[in-house]
Amino acid sequence: MIGVGNALRHDDAAGLEVVRRVRELVDPERVAVIEHVGEQSALLDIWEGAAAVVLVDAIRSDASAGTIHRVDASERPLPAPPWGSSSTHAIGVAEAIELARALGRLPAQVIVYGVEGVRFDAGIGLSKEVGDAMGVLTDTVSHEVRSMAA
Amino acid sequence: MSDASEMPTGPHGEQGLRTRVIRTDYLARVEGEGAMYVKLDGRDVVEVKLRIYEPPRFFEALLRGRAFTEAPDITARICGICPVAYQMSAVRAMEDACDVVIDEGPLRDLRRLIYCGEWIESHSLHVYMLHAPDFLGYAGAVEMARDHGEIVEQGLQMKKAGNALMALVGGREVHPINVRVGGFYRAPTGAELRTLVDPLERARETALATVRWVAELDFPDVRRARELVALRDPGEDYPIDRGAIVSDAGLDIAPAQFDEHVVEEHVEHSNALHARIRERGTYLTGPLARYALSCAQLRPLAAEAARAAGLGPVCENPFQSIVVRSVELVQACDEALAIIERYEQPDAPAVQVTPRRAVGHGATEAPRGLLYHRYEIDDDGAILDARIVPPTSQNQLAIEEDLRAVVEDALDLPDEKLSLRCEQAIRNHDPCISCATHFLKLTVDRG
Repeated sequence: MIGVGNALRHDDAAGLEVVRRVRELVDPERVAVIEHVGEQSALLDIWEGAAAVVLVDAIRSDASAGTIHRVDASERPLPAPPWGSSSTHAIGVAEAIELARALGRLPAQVIVYGVEGVRFDAGIGLSKEVGDAMGVLTDTVSHEVRSMAA
Repeated sequence: MSDASEMPTGPHGEQGLRTRVIRTDYLARVEGEGAMYVKLDGRDVVEVKLRIYEPPRFFEALLRGRAFTEAPDITARICGICPVAYQMSAVRAMEDACDVVIDEGPLRDLRRLIYCGEWIESHSLHVYMLHAPDFLGYAGAVEMARDHGEIVEQGLQMKKAGNALMALVGGREVHPINVRVGGFYRAPTGAELRTLVDPLERARETALATVRWVAELDFPDVRRARELVALRDPGEDYPIDRGAIVSDAGLDIAPAQFDEHVVEEHVEHSNALHARIRERGTYLTGPLARYALSCAQLRPLAAEAARAAGLGPVCENPFQSIVVRSVELVQACDEALAIIERYEQPDAPAVQVTPRRAVGHGATEAPRGLLYHRYEIDDDGAILDARIVPPTSQNQLAIEEDLRAVVEDALDLPDEKLSLRCEQAIRNHDPCISCATHFLKLTVDRG
């Protein structure tokens, strides 16, 4: 279970916040819960040896703020946009997944959750819309993680 | 002909009766947001622009009024790929202002060590993920990985070693938090550093293999003579953390004289300032300059790798910068290992630095070239004025000249191939557009 984001960019912290909440709800013997704030090529090492991965990130598409997206990346690439790198800086989550797939280093099951953010400027704290979505997202993600780990 | 900014993204060219435009509106595999624009009239290249449209971020203004001790952490945020360079130029400038010199012993060693980590991270990313796909004919690292997985794995393994070094000495992989004016918040123990020996030894082997591999790539046969500018270490070291600013045209100045010799100006098509040597004009910083001016200071292993790769004392072909960068990967891994071997944990992780009203200058070698900082501080350490000149704004003119030359040499290529060749010419210099757009002078023309 991996949360991706930047704690200092408002809604970009959503993935980190979700995994903090899910950590309390899952069996630590069976589920590694990781807050990943570095660059995304490191994901290949983070999920090394994992049977399945659930990854949560904030995204920005045309959906309304707080919308929860779920994509199964096990078989096919994440659609880009909105999942590709948000800038040309190195590698985004979608690129890391495709790099892993090309190298045979993608876990068998990869589920990616995205929550639609509205504020990505510098600062701490989720927007109201994303904050309101945290409860449902935490329930959904923890349910899926627990059923995978059962 | 409409302006490039009005056009959809993607590499494309337009063929008129006489006018031909080659442009890419969103450059891939460079750091930050930029575009290129080349206009031809018949066989004449009439206009060449490296457009940097990433919005300016006003870091220099942001620094005013902040404490001198905050500069390394604030400026580190300018760039996620070379934060250590910002921290090191900032601490050197502040120590210069406060009349403190850290030029030897374990504190300097630790600074060079964390800087080696950044060179390893940045160069391995560029060589493998950003630049190699150009030579092998792929759109990017993912496409290349499908056919050349072992090459991409090498890059990832080397980058991981750089990340581990950065995490240990800097506190985390990106935007390290352990660097301070006067030294570090915590000095690692010798035992902690020795955990890096295995990954760094593997990375050094990979770097040597990388030099051999990139030396065999197919390079366009070009030479670009222009002024090359880099630091020159006053001791025996390859330039990273200190020294005079020198060039192959006779420049030999202290960092404090930077402003006397380098002018920056705003041009309409770019959100980054263009720098030039006051007396002579265009110059280039970065691996090609460091190598040309200091290859005698390479460690023996790196020097031998360069020689075996066929590099002479000067490399004038910018497409071969990938070879020089790979030689610098050997250098950085080898030096990091040497520092770890001789390291003894210092008694204190930092020396006392007391502020005074003064101006300080700092220049260090970011992976992509010279990074100059100048600060004026008050008696209580408050920053009164800040100036930061990143390598990419210094290299912008040289990159545009390369673009012009590439187009003139390859006029008969179809648009798509010419466009790719142009993009490659830009990537030769690993520009960091995010770094280049922090400047303050914003001109708003409302007619």
